[in-house]
Amino acid sequence: MSTDWLSSALVFGLFEVVMYIGMGFLLHMQLGLAGIGNFGVVGFWGLGMYAYGIIYGGHAPSGTDLIIDIPWPFGDPWQAIASVILATLVAGLGGLLIGWIISGMDLDGQLVGTFGFAAIVFLLARSQKGLTGSEGGIGGLDFPYDIGSEKANAMLWLLVASAIVIAIGYYTWRVHRSPYGRLLIATGQNEPLARSLGKPSNLTKLWMFTVTSAGMGLLGAMFAVIVHFLTPLKLGVDVTLAVIVALILGGAARVWGPVIGVLLTVGLFEIVVQLYAPFPDSWYRQAMPVVKQIIYGMSLIVVLMYRPLGILGDMRRDKLMRSIHGD
Amino acid sequence: MVTEATDTVAATRSRIQIQGAAKSFSGRTVVDIDDLTLGEYPVEGLIGPNGAGKTTLMRMIMHSTKLDRGTVTLVRPDGDDRGDVVLSELPTYAMAGLGVVKTNQVIMDFEKLTMWDSMLLSVAKPKQELPFKIFAEAPLFAEHEEEMRHYLDFFSLTDPADQAGSAGEKKLLDIVRCLLLKPSFLLLDEPTAGLPDDLTEKVMEAIRLLAASGTSVVVVEHDLNVIWNLSDQVHFMAEGSVILQGTPEEIRRHETVVEKYLGEGHVGG
Amino acid sequence: MDLIAQSIVIGLTEHGPLVLAAMGFALLYRLTGLINVAFAETVTLGAYIGMWINTTFGLTFWLAIWPAAIAAGLISVATYFAVFRPAKRRDVGMLEMIIMSFGLSIVLRYSLQFVFGYGFVYYDVPAQQGWRVFDVGVSRIKSVSLVIVVVLALVLFWFIQKTEMGQKIRALASDEKLAQVSGINPLAVTVMVWFIAGVAGGLAGAFYGVGQGFKYTLGWDQFLFIMLVMLVGGAKNIRGVIIAGLGTGIVISALSLWLKDTQVATVILIALFMAYLKVRQRSLVEGKV
Repeated sequence: MSTDWLSSALVFGLFEVVMYIGMGFLLHMQLGLAGIGNFGVVGFWGLGMYAYGIIYGGHAPSGTDLIIDIPWPFGDPWQAIASVILATLVAGLGGLLIGWIISGMDLDGQLVGTFGFAAIVFLLARSQKGLTGSEGGIGGLDFPYDIGSEKANAMLWLLVASAIVIAIGYYTWRVHRSPYGRLLIATGQNEPLARSLGKPSNLTKLWMFTVTSAGMGLLGAMFAVIVHFLTPLKLGVDVTLAVIVALILGGAARVWGPVIGVLLTVGLFEIVVQLYAPFPDSWYRQAMPVVKQIIYGMSLIVVLMYRPLGILGDMRRDKLMRSIHGD
Repeated sequence: MVTEATDTVAATRSRIQIQGAAKSFSGRTVVDIDDLTLGEYPVEGLIGPNGAGKTTLMRMIMHSTKLDRGTVTLVRPDGDDRGDVVLSELPTYAMAGLGVVKTNQVIMDFEKLTMWDSMLLSVAKPKQELPFKIFAEAPLFAEHEEEMRHYLDFFSLTDPADQAGSAGEKKLLDIVRCLLLKPSFLLLDEPTAGLPDDLTEKVMEAIRLLAASGTSVVVVEHDLNVIWNLSDQVHFMAEGSVILQGTPEEIRRHETVVEKYLGEGHVGG
Repeated sequence: MDLIAQSIVIGLTEHGPLVLAAMGFALLYRLTGLINVAFAETVTLGAYIGMWINTTFGLTFWLAIWPAAIAAGLISVATYFAVFRPAKRRDVGMLEMIIMSFGLSIVLRYSLQFVFGYGFVYYDVPAQQGWRVFDVGVSRIKSVSLVIVVVLALVLFWFIQKTEMGQKIRALASDEKLAQVSGINPLAVTVMVWFIAGVAGGLAGAFYGVGQGFKYTLGWDQFLFIMLVMLVGGAKNIRGVIIAGLGTGIVISALSLWLKDTQVATVILIALFMAYLKVRQRSLVEGKV
């Protein structure tokens, strides 16, 4: 089977689509089910990404080592796997800390807490030269294997990421069909009532936030491997924006919301427009990124104004209950 | 004024003991109770004029409002060696697990959840709601299907796979959620408000059955007919404390007090 | 001692506009209960429009800021009519409203980038003369800006606390129905508030932008602090916002001077703010359970 049609750019575009779908599932659990406003998605994702770079043993572009240099007793792929796991845990700790800070706070507190966290991650990435390489970034993050060409390596990594995202998606789908999902929804909808029924609402949200933040960190670490090179510029608000837009557009309350949403946003822009649309080159360099952001921003306003539940609409617990428990 | 019946009644039920408990809002004392025990009789009524502090007292029992001072203690029945628990030191969500449950006066529901959901939420235990128990739904449903259907039939609730529609349905669902928690001490806050007569009867019947099976029930109700019909003991609250206690007959004998607070025509009932 | 004196000088001259922006933001928050993320772009707009008038029509900075402020105010009112009023009429929830304002913020920010370009732009102001205060060089333009900020902040404070219009605003913020019954025209007052908030934000932007280069992220970069100052100062308490704003400027200058690293200083200050909000939330919980 020939894979010539699969350019490296396309593989990278597909990776972004897959990754954003995964992020969408995780934000769906936070925002769509438990009603937690996370405006700092990029912070948790970025923490995982940078933690991977640092733990794995990336170095500054000049070749100098960073302060943290773990003497790994084993080589790749185990070194990379261990680093991914550790990076996920680091992001989870970030989630635990911020989850604790915003627990019991209203939306304003959630906004400030998550947004502030993203700012802190960004500022640390940019200022701690010894730790993060600051503006110069972290390099030396190659695939933990070599099966031939760069494209082949990237394709394998895309498959790994797809498997992880499918697992996250399956888990999300099962959560809707389990007592745990019901607990999350109840907590998100009416906290005092959930508490009166014996549900520790703050603790429930805190653990969910911790685990889903760790998941965002996992995807960030996966991303670190495929981009090879980390700079603070990757920690912009556009990551948060893309996840929120995808989720809101697809339908924040629905499992398939992030899938539809990401295909229509990231999929459209990073693959269709970027690779196949016949626009002049100069457009791609200057106008396109700006136009993309404006369209994303506009779609948030328009969707929430005219179809606040997104394309897929509201959660249909009635259909779900009928299908699993009968009338 | 107070009947000395305590010693004659065997302590076979869970009781709530409120001692030296006070609560004030912006300087105004709303509840100030020296010593009060609820739950010595199967069904007790708590009545009093608006602003007497009934709602605040219930919130204090459920610890959904902080006490300025004093304690609220769950006293187990004789022979139950689990020991007494000071409720006013525990978070609100711990009450249901201890069997102390309260229905809501105002209509409360989960907007997006169906009746099945509401009921399953009530019956699910913490270990069935763990994040990794993603296959726990079917066993949970099987385990509790019978009792859920029992209450659906009892209150003539149909189509449980749908959301509760009318205000009445929501009110009943709220009661069903509480019953499914298998309370040992149940506070009902105006359980029949807004319900038609036939359903009021049903709710009263459910209360009687529950009380007969050993649960201590305390009813707050503006409809005094419900109180006179149902209660074995009545606590009359005014200005933040209980000023009268006794059987419905005894309370009604204090015509002047009751009429002073509740207006004329309530005693005859 | 020097550090403290220098921090005060730098804090006031460099971060003075924060007070103005936070006051405008707080006024809006108080009326609508909404964290309007797009307020950040009101600040940026003020900076850009002032710069445009200043460089295109040759008006001095001191003249250019007023039409810029009014334009920012009008655009703020326009966003109210285009987005927030229709959203409120459609009963859009608070979380959704915040997300909408986030969307609007993005639209405005990148539209500004589209119009004014990616790079830094500068006001055309005479070569910076100035003087040294406690060994800190202070340009004339920054010192006069500070005086104007202080005067405007006091005027705004007086306006909200003492005038009839301010009274109407406070009445509308606390109880819309009651305010309506007592003969307040809610639309007029609301438009007024959006306008004043826009003017305050726009002026803050112009003061931020003058004296050094700025770009389309100007307001966005300040937004976290505007938001934190407003929440920490207490949205209902304009005096608290002023104090928190001044304090923030001075503390961040002190931390920057002491650590010789502005970014780490910023990180520490954000962390301090979050810790404070957490402590306050916990003490509130103590009272309520």
